[in-house]
Amino acid sequence: MDWLNSVLEKANAAFVEKDRWRLYLKGLGITMEVAVFAALIGIVLGTIVAFMKLSTKRNGKPTIFARIANIYIDIIRGTPSVLQLLIMWVIVMKDCKNGVLVACITFGINSGAYVSEIMRAGILAVDKGQTEAGRSLGLSHFQTMRYIVIPQAFKNALPPLGNEFIVLIKETAIVGYVGLSDLTRVANQMTSKLYEAFMPLIGSAIVYFTIIKILTVLLAKLERRLRKSDNR
Amino acid sequence: MIIVKDLHKKFGGNHVLRGVDYHIHQGEKIVVVGPSGSGKSTFLRCLNLLEIPTSGEIWFDGQLITDPKININKVRQHMGMVFQHFNLFNNLTIMENITLAPVKLKLMAEEEAKENALKLLNRVGLAEKADAYPGSLSGGQKQRIAIVRSLAMSPKLMLFDEPTSALDPEMVGEVLEVMKELAESGMTMVVVTHEMGFAREVGTKVLFMDEGNIIEENTPQEFFANPQSPRLKEFLSKVL
Repeated sequence: MDWLNSVLEKANAAFVEKDRWRLYLKGLGITMEVAVFAALIGIVLGTIVAFMKLSTKRNGKPTIFARIANIYIDIIRGTPSVLQLLIMWVIVMKDCKNGVLVACITFGINSGAYVSEIMRAGILAVDKGQTEAGRSLGLSHFQTMRYIVIPQAFKNALPPLGNEFIVLIKETAIVGYVGLSDLTRVANQMTSKLYEAFMPLIGSAIVYFTIIKILTVLLAKLERRLRKSDNR
Repeated sequence: MIIVKDLHKKFGGNHVLRGVDYHIHQGEKIVVVGPSGSGKSTFLRCLNLLEIPTSGEIWFDGQLITDPKININKVRQHMGMVFQHFNLFNNLTIMENITLAPVKLKLMAEEEAKENALKLLNRVGLAEKADAYPGSLSGGQKQRIAIVRSLAMSPKLMLFDEPTSALDPEMVGEVLEVMKELAESGMTMVVVTHEMGFAREVGTKVLFMDEGNIIEENTPQEFFANPQSPRLKEFLSKVL
């Protein structure tokens, strides 16, 4: 029974004593805040960039918007996100003292690049006949996209979008670089404070896992609901 | 109603339409036949500018619609189009498929559009499918709905691009029946099809297209009984 006692003692020290669980909870709050706002920015930005990249001139050549979109995607995908975060914190937004804001914007811009490719694939997977039918009824290009193509594209894109959001949640673990105490950093700090690594590290890993498991279940539900028009 | 002058369409180096001239009058039922690759579908798609002509003019109700300054969305509201592959909006119910355009284009209030849609659905015997999604319908049902969706815009002209080519044989009849009724109601129609029976029975004019041009044009009786050009004779000997 000794080992059980020692485990309980360690758990007690890591989570219960001095209400330390509050620190983890606060860390989780920051993790989720950054992930959720970054995801929102990413979806909006990604959708816009996807359409920019798909835009063509009358002769079928890419527009200036498509070129800008390509440059943006290349830069974001071509550099590590830690560096992007540091560049934003130390150079671009150096007068902004709000680390959470900087992190949300950085991850939003970062995620937008990946989301744009996801959305582009989703849009391209919608049959061209859907657009032609919309346009032949007199709907504008925008209306056809808004009511017909985007809803179907979003459905196509939902699995990889869920994937992207999950990646995003875990990738926020680097915000410690700009001084934010997210879940990972709290666990790390606790390790040095207690000279004990097991409980803080495994504990926070379980928290990440649980959050993402819940999200996976919710996404599966959403996907099933969106698929109801597919019944054959 | 539609005047086509010297219409050319190129896809890259592929010269699909080579100077088509034609005049469609109100109330006519023009049936276009021809071998595949003859440009008949491209011709039809140029009429509502789903394909932008490389050169030439198209006039619709006295308006030069090939002019880049024209609001093509407005023009298309008056031209219905039915596709080979139906192209019903998969994310919307049948009712929403039919009412989307009239409501979003602010031609009708939602209630009015629904009432109108139900009337049209009754005409093709599919009122009970109003809340179904396209995925649950048969091909013949989808195509009848597609016709209804176009009619909901009260078009002046209907274009049909091989409307029965993607259907199982036993469903061709129900779609042709709807088209026949539509023809009897006085609608101006341009139909690209391989259904020679339909051409004979419903058409007021039959056109034969080959290699990007209209080779022959005649009343259905003359067209089938007295083909003039050797190409048409050869074509008819293969399909009849």
